[in-house]
Amino acid sequence: MNQSDFVIIGGGPGGISAAIKAAQAGVNVTLLDENERLGGQVFRQLEKGFEVTDPDALGPDFKEGKELLHQFNSMQDKIRYLNNTLVWGIFNDSSLALARYGTSSSLRFKHLLVATGAYDRPVPFPGWTLPGVFTAGGAQKLVKSERVLPGQNILLAGTGPLQLVLADQILKAGGKIEAILEAGNFTKNWLQGLKGIWGNWDFLVEGVRYLRSILKAGVPLLQSHILLEARGDGQVEEAVIAKVDKNWRPRLSSARSVKVDSICLGYGLVSSTELTMLAECEHQYDLRQGGYIPLRKANMETSVPGIFAVGDGAGVAGKKVAIEEGCIAGIAVASALGYISPAKASQQIRSCHKRLSKINRFRKVLDDISLPRPGLCELATDDTVICRCEDVTLKQLKAALADDTIQIKDFKRLTRMGMGPCEGRMCGPSAIEMMRHQLNASAEDVGCLKPRPSIKPVALGVLAANNTMPVVSGRYGGPSTENK
Amino acid sequence: MSRGESRVYHGVARGRPFEIEVDGEKIVAYEGETIGAALLAAGRRTLRHTNKFEQPRGLYCGIGLCQECRMTINGIPNTQACQTLATPGCRIETQKSFKKRES
Repeated sequence: MNQSDFVIIGGGPGGISAAIKAAQAGVNVTLLDENERLGGQVFRQLEKGFEVTDPDALGPDFKEGKELLHQFNSMQDKIRYLNNTLVWGIFNDSSLALARYGTSSSLRFKHLLVATGAYDRPVPFPGWTLPGVFTAGGAQKLVKSERVLPGQNILLAGTGPLQLVLADQILKAGGKIEAILEAGNFTKNWLQGLKGIWGNWDFLVEGVRYLRSILKAGVPLLQSHILLEARGDGQVEEAVIAKVDKNWRPRLSSARSVKVDSICLGYGLVSSTELTMLAECEHQYDLRQGGYIPLRKANMETSVPGIFAVGDGAGVAGKKVAIEEGCIAGIAVASALGYISPAKASQQIRSCHKRLSKINRFRKVLDDISLPRPGLCELATDDTVICRCEDVTLKQLKAALADDTIQIKDFKRLTRMGMGPCEGRMCGPSAIEMMRHQLNASAEDVGCLKPRPSIKPVALGVLAANNTMPVVSGRYGGPSTENK
Repeated sequence: MSRGESRVYHGVARGRPFEIEVDGEKIVAYEGETIGAALLAAGRRTLRHTNKFEQPRGLYCGIGLCQECRMTINGIPNTQACQTLATPGCRIETQKSFKKRES
């Protein structure tokens, strides 16, 4: 079986930074990434075929990513980088199951870093399954790296600064935005915000730049507004919007309809924790940071020795935090492997933490505005599909809830929610929140949809095309036995 | 609803154009585009129909997670249009519900 001292899963800012730090110290690193090209969501590069003629048109993230990738490329002799590689399982003999170009293989690790990022929080409301409704992240990928606009007249709905980033990108690309709905309210909270902003001037400059571009284009930025419904015959044709109170509950008298042909939803992000969960790392629920997230020590190690987690996949906090956390994990692993003295490592880690605490002050301000409020759980009606894969409606979930001893995992058995190919990613996060809200229950009571290998659909032919797969037995498919 | 061209030409030069076939209709895609993006640019938003309610679905998450863009691509069903690059002459079919497939 293949083996590596340090395996990193995820080629976004966190994974790349960790790889650079560890490689600089002398560690042999293996970096696995699912995409064709490195960068993750935020530093995504364009596919082969496209040629960038004006990097400014692609926004500041694109340029920032280029610098990090350049550093990564300069360390190539110490880093084994495998693209197009899905890690679909993790087994408790410290091995990973990989799928790559139609075949499977195993890879054993001494130290592992999970840097799997996050995705847009799914928020069910009537019409959210209509073609023409996109997540903000999906729309951003289309505009930034495929240079296709999601529509001719676009509505942005959600909360937080990523909406502004997307709006700026759409406008720069020549797109038309009907309005931006911000469920929260930052002008009302600016005084509390001042403390967090103080000293974080680069964030402020970035924010002001986005706001200016939106104002200049004459796009209405409607705070304390929410999207109630998407309507249309087979695709989005109009959206019903309304003002909300501080709990994001709509004032129905203010509801009105706007003609749009596409909608981009950005209600914050959910951490991708499938792999840390499979590894049986301890998790705790923190809605502010993206749902269930792994518990970590100051050196980014999870409760399972040798397994580290950084970036949005370990608590949503953005690219800057991911980079610092990645550096910490890279240093910590290099030290554990004897490449850096413990004293030097802890000194370097301390300086990363100093920068982190400054960034986190600012994050707190944004999170206070964008923390999902109860009104968000009340948008779906009885007929609204909650589980997109299996067509399970809210009505069916409510019927299952009549037995109030149930946990979220029981929805699988009772309704088939979470049994489809997205493996609970699209229904789980909102179902947890709706259950907590409906039953007034804690996250511990509600539980979670436990991921299972394979964490994404893998064709049987891919599993068959291998000679190093573990024999699947026992809980979660582990412990595994080597099968040469 | 009429749709204009939604490709953006500012900031990048596109790869070479070629034809792909969707449900028998020929549309243009450019090298480097995913099938999902090429279909969107051609004004095709419905990529499949669900099994139970037979509802239309299109690109949603766009990053390979939600599985809403599953199509039959070159004969292989349940292939994610958002994750599959268009290639010259590739053949794509919208996935129907089980019921419609049987009839």
